[in-house]
Amino acid sequence: MKGYHLGELEELVLLTVGILDQEAYGVSVLEEIKNQTGRKVNISAIHTVLNRLEEKGFLDSQMGGATEERGGRRKRLFRISASGRSAITEIRTLRNKLYDQIPPLALDFSHGY
Amino acid sequence: MDTKLKHFPPKWADRFLEFYCAESKLEQIQGDAYEIFYLNLEERGLAYARFRFWIHVFSFFRWSNIKRTKTKYYHSNSTAMFKNYLKIGWRNLLKQKATTFISVFGLASAVGCCLVAYLFIANIWFKGMLQPNKNEIYQLTYTIDEEEGKVTYGTVAEPIAELLSNEFTQIKSQSRVKQGLPILIYQTESFYQRVNYVDPGFMDMFVYRMEYGYPQALTEPDQVILTFELSEKLFGDTHPVGQEISLVTDGEEKRYKVGGVMKKLNDMEIFNFDLLVNLESIELEKPQVSLKQSWDAEQWTFVQLEKGVNPAELQAGLASIKKRQNEINSENPYLSLDLIAYTDLVYQIGKIENGVRNFLGLGPQILLGAIGLFILILAVFNYINISILMASKRLKEIGVRKVIGSRRGQLIAQFLSENLIVCFFALFIGCLLAVFILLPGFNQVASKSLKLDLLHDPYIWMFLIGLMGFITLVSGLYPAVFVSGFKPVTILNGNQKLGSKSFMTSVLLTFQFTLAIISIVAGIAFLQTNYLNENRDWGYDNSDKIIVNVPDTKAYFTLKDQISAIASVKEVSGSENFIGNGAEEKEVTYQDQKYEVDYLEAEANYAEVLELRLISGRFLDSNLISDQTQSILVNERFMTDLGLSFPVEESIVLDSVNYQIVGVVKDFHMTFFQRPIVPMVIRSGSDSIYNYLTLQMSPGTALSAMDLVKKTWREAIPAGLFEGKLQADVFEREYSDVRGIQHIIIFAAVLAVILAAMGLFGLVSLNMNSRIKDFCVRKVFGAGTSDLTKKLFKRYLISWGIASILGGGLAFVIVTQFLDSFFAFHAGVGFIPIATGLMVLLLVIGLTVSSQIWKVVKANPANILKAE
Repeated sequence: MKGYHLGELEELVLLTVGILDQEAYGVSVLEEIKNQTGRKVNISAIHTVLNRLEEKGFLDSQMGGATEERGGRRKRLFRISASGRSAITEIRTLRNKLYDQIPPLALDFSHGY
Repeated sequence: MDTKLKHFPPKWADRFLEFYCAESKLEQIQGDAYEIFYLNLEERGLAYARFRFWIHVFSFFRWSNIKRTKTKYYHSNSTAMFKNYLKIGWRNLLKQKATTFISVFGLASAVGCCLVAYLFIANIWFKGMLQPNKNEIYQLTYTIDEEEGKVTYGTVAEPIAELLSNEFTQIKSQSRVKQGLPILIYQTESFYQRVNYVDPGFMDMFVYRMEYGYPQALTEPDQVILTFELSEKLFGDTHPVGQEISLVTDGEEKRYKVGGVMKKLNDMEIFNFDLLVNLESIELEKPQVSLKQSWDAEQWTFVQLEKGVNPAELQAGLASIKKRQNEINSENPYLSLDLIAYTDLVYQIGKIENGVRNFLGLGPQILLGAIGLFILILAVFNYINISILMASKRLKEIGVRKVIGSRRGQLIAQFLSENLIVCFFALFIGCLLAVFILLPGFNQVASKSLKLDLLHDPYIWMFLIGLMGFITLVSGLYPAVFVSGFKPVTILNGNQKLGSKSFMTSVLLTFQFTLAIISIVAGIAFLQTNYLNENRDWGYDNSDKIIVNVPDTKAYFTLKDQISAIASVKEVSGSENFIGNGAEEKEVTYQDQKYEVDYLEAEANYAEVLELRLISGRFLDSNLISDQTQSILVNERFMTDLGLSFPVEESIVLDSVNYQIVGVVKDFHMTFFQRPIVPMVIRSGSDSIYNYLTLQMSPGTALSAMDLVKKTWREAIPAGLFEGKLQADVFEREYSDVRGIQHIIIFAAVLAVILAAMGLFGLVSLNMNSRIKDFCVRKVFGAGTSDLTKKLFKRYLISWGIASILGGGLAFVIVTQFLDSFFAFHAGVGFIPIATGLMVLLLVIGLTVSSQIWKVVKANPANILKAE
């Protein structure tokens, strides 16, 4: 297994799309990230990441949900795909595995005096 | 919601987004940008929202979002497409070997002919243009006022060359060039050779590739550089460098050593010379001359400017040199002293007196160009006709391609690319043809040394590529456009009629026939004229006469006495020039009217020795003193042109002396038949030393006595060059020239007929293939051979008929003009050439079509009709 290569922002966006379920598109992802993490990301960066994730096959998309604010334009709604789901699972297990290997905090002051 | 509708994102930012954003992403991006704009509007107000909108528009300006041309998105498969075109084209060619052969052979011979014509013409126009420094070389010229108006001379006064290097710093090298025709003596042989006397700078300015030795050899005044041709003639296989030769100018002999030999020049240099000699070597001999005299001596002067120097920068300096010249030589002041670019010299032919190039010879250029063009047109038309018919076998392919979605342009590209294959082969074979057959043949008949030099001649590549492009487009465009224009529905339905009855095909065929007729008529008319001219009466008896030159005036009488002593020599006469070599032109006055006449000065018995035919009066008599001072002999033409009848009472004024006409001789050809017979005056001069001696021999001994005459001559003039010949041979050079042209024209005529016949053959056989069933059905129903023949012949006979009228008329006009430009005496375009032309073509058509009819006659209808 070669593993999934996901950048930090990519992982964040992928998770956010997962959270938003059927309602994930550029602006909602942006808002969700802001609300959940307090992090302000540029909308164009979000778009780039979404498109890249779709190219990698972790996301599916379809057009839909036009609103007045958008000037009647449709949104591109993203959904996490099967391989996307397995990717976050994989990453998560990998993280956990690595985390578990960290030795418990030993206060032996071996690094200082 | 109300506030929202009142405000909109900034218009320009929005437009910019629409401008750059890729179609597929615009909706999503613009939508999100709008949404954020309204979010910001609610939270932070309009200004902030607008500002953020701008920021977003710019942040979306990324490579992945930008609109690009389609190629990025669609994988290009045009290489595969072209490969496919070429492959299909190749297969089609192989499938139709006979017609491919006709096309390729025709085009190849056209390419060959065009190549020869091009090389001939280019040789004239691009002479010397392969010199690498050509753009920096200039020739000095001056203009003076003469009676006729301003005249420009290519030669300038000798001291100007010396002044140049003092006056200018921009001159890189310079050389005077003087031509001479001294006698070259090597061991016991002697020849007249063309010499260019030059300064050593000549070899810096002009670059010659050397076979032996170095270009710098010329810096030594006693060394010479030979052309390869001369070196081969003199030394054969022995190493030439260091060999000794001597040159005799005005009876003075000077010895030289060979310092180098150039590679073959192939007649591509602007100067005509056999060897280069340092100019100083003849100057050293000269006695010191006065200043005035040295300014009188003139020669060509060439300078090479430093790179990038504009010749206009030299204007001021040249003006000051001009001033000095005019101070010394005040009778003929220079109006201006100019630099003419080396590359422009060819365009100045006829404008510069005593220039380097003074002869363009347009006649032969036009002739060869026309032949090349004729053959090219014939071959191209063959190809057009055949390829239209060939396409008829591929109608289905075209239909299918169209249905699948080929655009018309693509089909045209396909046909043109197939065409390119044929043209490429034709070009290749044409080059081979030219190099191995046409060029050697042409060089022989035209005594030229043209060569296809692909390595050193950039122009030839331009020509070849241009020719290939031209042939491809001209021959391929019409068929391609024509064939690709059909509707797929009609093609696939089987309703598309094509080719055989096409109007265009008939027009092209008729045109081909016309060209063929013109070339046959030209060939036959030329042949006829030559035949008549070779048997034309020269106006005197040219047999049993020998002419010898007398280069040394001191030995004149010894030579004359010794030659007279030869047993078979009946009589000897001296003359300034000889009949057949051209005459001096003079002006005579009769009754205050001036006439231009040819004039020959000779001993009194010259007319008798030559056996000119006396019509009235008497020949000049050497015993009568009065005949040397006041009598002349004239020709018939003189009498008719001046409207005189013998005897003439009044006197004729010649050189302001009065002369009496004592006799009239029959017109004779003083020059070749290219020139008409003009009024002629023969006078016996008071001088008793002449340039030539004419020997009247006992009948039948002229040829055998030649050796004896030569031996006698050598004893009298040991250092001269013997130029004896038979009077009957004086036109030998002209005859061989004319024969050369005759060969070329007949070759062209034969080729034209062959091409027309081949084209016809291809046409008829392709036609026949598609209609053989038709004929077989007719046969089954009882049509006789004559019926079938009539049916098949009719079309071609109509073409022939139209071509006969057109071709006959055109041939009459063109060929008459052509003959007029070559001969003053010719047979004209009479009944024989035109009738022969028409009949030959008819015969060829008959044979070609019959061969195909024979196929039908022999065919068993059952087999053919069963086939499907």
